[in-house]
Amino acid sequence: MIREAIDGISAPDGRGRVVRAVSWMVLFAFLHGGFRYFGRRGMLVTARRVEMRLRRDLFAHVIRLPLSFFGRTPTGDVMSRMTNDVSAVWLLLGPGVLTLVGTAITYVLGLLFMARISVALTLVALAVAPVIVVASREYGKAFHRTHRKAQESLAAMNAAIQENVAGIRLVKAYGLEGQEERRFRGASRDYYRQNVSVARTSAAFHGAIGLLAGLGVTLVLLLGGWLVIRERLTLGGFVAFNAYLAMLSFPTMALGWVINLVQRGGSAMGRINEFLGTPAEPREPLLVPPRKVPDAPFLEVRNLSFAYEGGGRGEALRGVSFSLRKGEIAGLVGQTGSGKSTLFSLLLRLYPVPPGTVFLEGRDAGGLPLEEVRRAVSLVGQDPFLFSDTILANVCFGRDLPDEQEARRAVSMARFLAEVEEMPDGVHTVIGERGVSLSGGQKQRATIARALCAGGELLLLDDALSAVDSETEQEIFREILSARGGKTVLFSTHRMASLSRCDRILVLVEGRIVEEGTHDELLSRRGAYFDLYSRQMIARELEAT
Amino acid sequence: MSNGTEFYFTEDRVETRGMDVRLLRRLLSYLSPHKGLLAAALGALVLGTACQLAGPYIIKLVIDRNITPRVLDGLAGRVALFLAALAGGMGFLYLQMFAVSIIGQRVILQIRAEMFGRLQRLPVSFFDRTPTGRVMTRLTSDVEALQELISSGLVSTVGSVTILVGIAAVLVWMDARLTLVTFAVLPFLVLFVELLKKFIREANREMRRKLARLNAFLQEHVTGVDVVKAFVQEEKSGREFDVHNDAYSAESIRLTNFYSVYFPGVELFASVAVALLLWQGGIRVIAGAVTFGTLVAFLEYAQKFFAPIKDVSDKYNILQSALASSERIFQILDTEVSPEYRPLPSGGKSPLRPVEERGRERATQLPPPAIEFRDVWFSYPKGDGEQGETVLRGVSFTLHEGETGAIVGATGAGKTTVLNLLCRFYEISRGEIRLFGRDVREIPREELRGMISLVLQDPFLFSGTIRENVEAGGAELGRALGVAGVSRFAAAWESGLATQVGERGGRLSVGQRQLVSFARALARDPEVLVLDEATSSVDPVTEHEVQAALGKILSGRTSLVVAHRLSTILSADRILVMHRGKVRETGTHRELLAARGIYHRLYTLQFGTP
Repeated sequence: MIREAIDGISAPDGRGRVVRAVSWMVLFAFLHGGFRYFGRRGMLVTARRVEMRLRRDLFAHVIRLPLSFFGRTPTGDVMSRMTNDVSAVWLLLGPGVLTLVGTAITYVLGLLFMARISVALTLVALAVAPVIVVASREYGKAFHRTHRKAQESLAAMNAAIQENVAGIRLVKAYGLEGQEERRFRGASRDYYRQNVSVARTSAAFHGAIGLLAGLGVTLVLLLGGWLVIRERLTLGGFVAFNAYLAMLSFPTMALGWVINLVQRGGSAMGRINEFLGTPAEPREPLLVPPRKVPDAPFLEVRNLSFAYEGGGRGEALRGVSFSLRKGEIAGLVGQTGSGKSTLFSLLLRLYPVPPGTVFLEGRDAGGLPLEEVRRAVSLVGQDPFLFSDTILANVCFGRDLPDEQEARRAVSMARFLAEVEEMPDGVHTVIGERGVSLSGGQKQRATIARALCAGGELLLLDDALSAVDSETEQEIFREILSARGGKTVLFSTHRMASLSRCDRILVLVEGRIVEEGTHDELLSRRGAYFDLYSRQMIARELEAT
Repeated sequence: MSNGTEFYFTEDRVETRGMDVRLLRRLLSYLSPHKGLLAAALGALVLGTACQLAGPYIIKLVIDRNITPRVLDGLAGRVALFLAALAGGMGFLYLQMFAVSIIGQRVILQIRAEMFGRLQRLPVSFFDRTPTGRVMTRLTSDVEALQELISSGLVSTVGSVTILVGIAAVLVWMDARLTLVTFAVLPFLVLFVELLKKFIREANREMRRKLARLNAFLQEHVTGVDVVKAFVQEEKSGREFDVHNDAYSAESIRLTNFYSVYFPGVELFASVAVALLLWQGGIRVIAGAVTFGTLVAFLEYAQKFFAPIKDVSDKYNILQSALASSERIFQILDTEVSPEYRPLPSGGKSPLRPVEERGRERATQLPPPAIEFRDVWFSYPKGDGEQGETVLRGVSFTLHEGETGAIVGATGAGKTTVLNLLCRFYEISRGEIRLFGRDVREIPREELRGMISLVLQDPFLFSGTIRENVEAGGAELGRALGVAGVSRFAAAWESGLATQVGERGGRLSVGQRQLVSFARALARDPEVLVLDEATSSVDPVTEHEVQAALGKILSGRTSLVVAHRLSTILSADRILVMHRGKVRETGTHRELLAARGIYHRLYTLQFGTP
């Protein structure tokens, strides 16, 4: 239309033609705007929806992956796939596809119109296009490479800051401020250098691409001018051609970017599929679920051996056998690394359990639905992990719906109620990063309340009171034991004094149960238990003399 | 989460204030050391803009002088000129972009160094109330936002404005009436951009907030996946995740909708402007009022004109978030340093003296107690300048040179606080703490901390080798490694002392970390050893080694120990029993047991009936 208008200018009945052409132009501009709006919106919104579904499915899958997966995959890696890689897929499906389609349309139509004006001129204009595409692609690669290096030095710098902040007391105590500053300066200078190299690549690319695009325009100017002078081309055609060429220059540059986007999105999708392809924990029960055996012990472990994946560490458990009656209180004693936590995890089937080794009320736990096993067992782990949510939500985490009354009862049993009630919003107080931070002892008591509130028949306490003082520990034990209502309890502790309440004590040494009995029996046996016990008591005996 | 990459998705309040002139001025002051480069960048910018502006004008000349009169003469020359202008423009563009990023990078390098230096000197209480994640964000994303402001914001805004003004000037010079026609859409365009910009900015902020929340949820559930599994809450967590995910998605779609109107809208305005130009311009060319080349040049300039307008509104967003970031950065830079880093009011009355000299002095006079607390009151400071609950209420005790004092008491009695105060990590509210007769507030920091070796409850090691960790304490490596029993376990390893300990010492066992932290404390042969005994249980063999090492370390050395082990308590020369912020009983083990007081009760609970 520009051509029409300009040709009209030079034609005798100019005015009318100009007005007509301009009206058409305005109409087309509106149509074009409308199409762009709907096209853009439709494609991008669809891509966003796909992204959302991908993220949802990925989370649902990842959360169901076996614990061994998390053991071998660093948290950072899991996070980066669920954030960066999902975003890369969105960039591919959204802006990537949009630009690709836009580029294709512009190219086909643009070239068509340009060819109609002058084929020779079109060929000349296109001469630089392949160079531009290749250059942008190379730049994409180079940018990716330098950018990755910059990310690496950023990570190193972050690690330095984080370590410094975590160890700030030592830094101050040992007067290491200067040394730390030097270390940090080194890391941040390295990051600076990487960034400058990114900037250099990017500046060079922008300069070069501008030059290349301009070269095309120059060639068109030279040849087109000559053609017009030789009257093989109208002036309007010449100007319109230039306008089309300008329209093409952006998509050409974008093509390199899109190619890069497609590559990155593709590899991101590959990494995501790796996760999605990892089999989740088996959940399906056997066709015929095993029945409870009336006289069977509540929990029975038969000859259970276990080694962690990617071992080298040997077997964590070797032929462990024991059984607990319903309502029994049992203590588990052993040194660090003797396999206590492993045993607890296996009772919950957090790792796969060989068939015929763990029985709940006479039923092979390996054949029960995973959910049933885990609902029957409530574990309080060594590391008191809480979510940044209200105390109520945390305590009721194991229940499908929060129940304030139950939660209060559990919190009170865990000797935590008085402190909770002093908090600004009581049980509705938000804890964690965005709320009140709890002390180690408070966290442990909250996790105990959580386990009590979940209502499992078997309560497992894995050294769960180490940060609580011994007086409170005694109180909590007393409370749990008196109000447990038929629950079976298995707990480990390093405070020997707490063990005297147990019906039975199991002594674990290097993955084997070497002794079993009551406190007095074990003491009189003068074996491993006696050894452990006397280590704590030797000094007292010395004192007595 | 102690090893591997940690992610930080902290939600920070995004303040939206207008332009703060003082803030801007302070930011600009960081540019002044780079005046030369800045001038070069601006020079390149102006020249580059001139070159860019020359392009369409040359095309006008080609049309008016060559094409319209059908003259070949001078065509090649003009085209060559066009190419030269182009090359010049791109060359200057490269120079400008490069110079600007170097300036930006240098400025943030300096700001980062300043921030880190300031952090080293902030009071410990700052770190108590500021989560590590937040400190990290200040030093990373906030600084990054600032860099964005300098390299793409500040200079390219100047660039955009230069181009806009340049184009307007050239257009007016060529033909004022046509210029008016071209700019007729401008008020509407500005209105349109302003209107949408508000929504876009708001949606953008909301989207980022939702994303931060989503990622925080994600991270927490990946870290605590074993808890989710143990309580069979995969479904519930999935549902909660969906809520966050949907919220984020809805917000991002809202933003997409705004942008779907914005970009085509701006282009529509540009098209309309071109159409108007053709209409009016065409009529005027026919009337002979303007040349044909002028019209074409106008078309070219109009295209160049609308691109930076899209930019300018983007830049405003960058500027806004950068200002919010810089405010947070300056907050850290303006946080007062801990008092021990300020020069002493006495003006260095007590200069550094070698240890032997001090020893000789002491021998001639009646020696003051090595450590003395006189009616010390203390409460941990809160963020808002208020004081928290009182932790120490009049603590008094003395410890003589060579003595070991063991502090015992229930959790929360204030044991660790006593150690923190002796190291002057916090300022006391009332009373006096004396070290060899001198108030700790009057001992220069280097000297004070040079006299004391601290062992933390959590045996924190810095990443690096075992040797580097011990050397951080002091120079007497050999003896320290031997006494602490480090050389024994390290000898069994292939790389020995050069073994990398990993992030926070994660590659060593807890017991080994304790031994290395002992060695670090010994390496400077401290006059006073301050030790917070670890409560974490280690296996009996290591426990035995730790005890043996402790015995050797403490004997004959002035030391203050928060004790948990019976052996440590028994070997102490003096036991300080703390209860609710006070020292309630002092004496030896036998004396205290006989007194049948708090100590007797604590002892019975911890270790059974005596």
